[in-house]
Amino acid sequence: MDYFLQNFPQQLLNGLEIGSLYALIALGYTLIYGILELLNFAHGDVFMVGGFLAAGAAALFVHNEVAVIPAALIVTLMAVAAMGGAGMLGVGIERVAYRPLRNANRLAPLITAIGVSLFLQSAMQVWVSPAPVLVPSNALVPQTVLHAAGIETPLTGLTLFVVAVALMIGLDLFVFRTRFGSAMRATAQDREAATFMGIDVDRVIMVTFFIASALAGMGGLLFGLRYATVDFFMGYLLGIKAFTAAVIGGIGNLRGAMIGGLMLGILESLVGGFISTQFQDTFVFLALIVVLLVRPQGLFGQPLTDRA
Amino acid sequence: METVTGRKAVLELRGLTRRFGGLTAVDRFDVHVNEGEIVSLVGPNGAGKTTVFNLISGVLKPTAGSAKLLGRELTGLPAHRITHHGIARTFQNIRVFPQLTVRENILIGTHHWTRSGLLGSVTFWPPTMRAERAAQAEVHSAIDLFRERLEARLDDPAFSLSYANRRRTEMARALAARPKLLLLDEPAAGMNPYERIEVAGLIRAMRDRGLTIFLIEHHMPLVMEISDRVVVMDHGVKIAEGLPKEVHSNPRVVEAYLGRRAASA
Amino acid sequence: MSAQPATLDTETSHPLKRLWDAGPAGWNNALTKPSVLVPFFIVAALIPFALQYVEDNSSWTGTQFWTFLLANCAMYACLAVALNLVVGYAGLLNLGFIAFFGIGSYAYALVASNQIHQHFPFWAALLVVILVTLAFALLVGIPALRLRGDYLAIVTLGFGLIMNDLILNLDRPPVLAGHQFGPSGLNLTGGTNGLHNVAPFPLPTSLPLLGEIPHSRMYYWIFLGALALSIYGILRWRHSRTGRAWVAIRDDELAARAMGVNTFKYRLLAFCISAVMAGIFGMIDAAFVFNAYPDNFAVQQTVTVFIMVILGGLGSLPGAILGAIAFTVPPYLMQQLVSYKYLIVAVALIAVMVLRPEGLLGTVSIRPRKTMGGTVELLTAESTIEATELPAVTDTEVADLEAQSGAIVEDPEWKP
Repeated sequence: MDYFLQNFPQQLLNGLEIGSLYALIALGYTLIYGILELLNFAHGDVFMVGGFLAAGAAALFVHNEVAVIPAALIVTLMAVAAMGGAGMLGVGIERVAYRPLRNANRLAPLITAIGVSLFLQSAMQVWVSPAPVLVPSNALVPQTVLHAAGIETPLTGLTLFVVAVALMIGLDLFVFRTRFGSAMRATAQDREAATFMGIDVDRVIMVTFFIASALAGMGGLLFGLRYATVDFFMGYLLGIKAFTAAVIGGIGNLRGAMIGGLMLGILESLVGGFISTQFQDTFVFLALIVVLLVRPQGLFGQPLTDRA
Repeated sequence: METVTGRKAVLELRGLTRRFGGLTAVDRFDVHVNEGEIVSLVGPNGAGKTTVFNLISGVLKPTAGSAKLLGRELTGLPAHRITHHGIARTFQNIRVFPQLTVRENILIGTHHWTRSGLLGSVTFWPPTMRAERAAQAEVHSAIDLFRERLEARLDDPAFSLSYANRRRTEMARALAARPKLLLLDEPAAGMNPYERIEVAGLIRAMRDRGLTIFLIEHHMPLVMEISDRVVVMDHGVKIAEGLPKEVHSNPRVVEAYLGRRAASA
Repeated sequence: MSAQPATLDTETSHPLKRLWDAGPAGWNNALTKPSVLVPFFIVAALIPFALQYVEDNSSWTGTQFWTFLLANCAMYACLAVALNLVVGYAGLLNLGFIAFFGIGSYAYALVASNQIHQHFPFWAALLVVILVTLAFALLVGIPALRLRGDYLAIVTLGFGLIMNDLILNLDRPPVLAGHQFGPSGLNLTGGTNGLHNVAPFPLPTSLPLLGEIPHSRMYYWIFLGALALSIYGILRWRHSRTGRAWVAIRDDELAARAMGVNTFKYRLLAFCISAVMAGIFGMIDAAFVFNAYPDNFAVQQTVTVFIMVILGGLGSLPGAILGAIAFTVPPYLMQQLVSYKYLIVAVALIAVMVLRPEGLLGTVSIRPRKTMGGTVELLTAESTIEATELPAVTDTEVADLEAQSGAIVEDPEWKP
């Protein structure tokens, strides 16, 4: 019991940190599902590509662990590369792989999404690097570790949390307080009716994909800075966990995705800290299955239509 | 349950209600259909008639009320059990199985009263073979009423059929289910006058075979001609019931249709 | 399925043209006749002899390699046929499909190797494999089949991932919250190495008349036999009450239920049959390569089998075989491309889904279409009920509502 009490705060903090990352990516899943009713399997891999883009940008300006231009500038460039590149990748994927199937039944684009996911992973593996790529994090951000009240956290971790939360708040404001945001919500509720209202649905979908993917790309950057490494497989696992978070919160519900992400991060951290690190992931997958079976609408989603 | 005329009530709907959020599609609907009767359910578009059929056949669960077939409560049962208890239906926008042949479509009708094991079909197990033969025989008796039309097309896939033949296939399929009650949803839709005459004859012939028939139809002359009784619905509520002539001149019914032309020939 | 012209009497046209006009359904019918299948399997069985003959009479030494390749090809054809059953017939996206293959291989390996010191005779081992796979299929299927199509896909994917994890981590007793479950030294799955020294089936290595039978050739024949049996079973079912029910459910689930078909039961049946089939194929594979590998659970494998089925065409048995050949033979031949294998699979999947989801010979359309009223959906969905059973909110009802609010609306039903 003592062990538990001693370590609980630390695990909680770790959970919040990783949870904010899950939340950031879960938002992307939920945005896309809300607007297209599509479970975008490839979203986690967009996160991965964002990480690679950030690493690539860093590699241009960091030689032998030394930044050749101010670090803040490099990080900004990395952010532009990650968010912009990932955003455009998302738009491209939607245009090529999902739009032709927009009016097909729900499962057709799902199959395609699996193909896109495999494509992104393989492409990175084959054309960029099968081995993990290092991110020169210590040349770019201070690697200090903060201590307080017996718990510690690296600055990069805290940054991850803060930036992620800031982005989420920004997104929330955008979706709920701006005109375009209401166009997005309208399209999500009833695509056909939205066209009658004069909304350019194609454009709304495109922008939604851009935003969702850019957020994921940013997540990739934050991950790279925090863990100093990116690899072609990182999106797959993290993607599934972020997806679990979106489901827990109620897929289609933005605030649900954020809360779901944080909750899942904490759950995973607690399981890893107190039950088993080996079976940590297994527990997360189990959580996914259990939620889908017991309460598929998640915490904040609408109950599904009753069956006959 | 005996009625005034002494005939058994095959179908009894009491207080049947269905709400979709704020919209009440069917509101405390009471009706009974007696053995051997042909009862028509009519009303303007959107009155809730198909919803009533969906409630009876188990596709939808009622928000309130009950539906009984020969005294047995149907509400809450899954659709396939309801069919097994003796109800077969056709659909407003004909739903035959496109990839199955006419014969196979009709054989689906026999599904609920035949038994077959999984291994039985692969290993030529005698009871399975017997069940299959019985089902095949039923096909022939089911197309009895349409013999000339369907016999030649028995092994053609349903998607290749003409509209009228698909209707016939759907009806034969329902007959093959050996129902006690037949629900026909707009059996004469999209038909020309000659075909409508055929439909009228078919419905009577099916009644003569012992079926009880509850049908939805828009074509008034046809309704007047074949129905023993007519029930009129509007906005989810029963507004009139009785003999065809009575209902036809009922002012409430006329009002419901005022300004709207019933779906024409 | 794209609307085919109504079949007209075409006594006058050439039989090949009629076949072409018959479309995928017709092609499938033609290709699954015994008069086509029997020669196909006979020829396929004789290929190793042809290879041997060439090798004996020239400087070519590829028989070993090619026979191994053929055995793999036959195995994937078996898997594709099984996946076709669950996706094409029952319309269920079983993304954890390959896990059943893995379960079968490990179940057999455990009773045919020294891992837990069991050596069951063949039929007992087969029974174990069937029962274990069936148990898992029911465990996953019964709850999952109550869900909507895309959620079903996720649950089966989750199952596959969990199995993958368990297989990799159960080479030692699990330690949860500090408690060890099981005796130390308990190694059930061999972890990342898998299980080794799996005994092959007790079969003679030489037969009269045929002489020596190399290992690869024997297992090629076994897989071929399994393929033939599977196709036979599926064709028999297609023409039985069960098969009709499956097609009916796939064509129009609502109407199927209305006609008395217990859709849940039949979906579960297809799910379990395809899972058990995959398990048996896993067993054969374990005996073939003397090992059970964790890679047998890899999701990429499911995706590979998926592309085989989709390229070949959903609902088509010959298509599944073609798809299997397309994705086994070229990768093996182009060894230098092996690292590109999954990249090619992914691009192919996307291309087929976007350009021609029906694949080559598919009879099941993924595009929705209103054939004869009723939207035909590929896969299970409560949404079928949603869409059609909401009362048609006609313009007149809208008119009534708007009239209450004072707006003037033209009533389309009104005629002067």
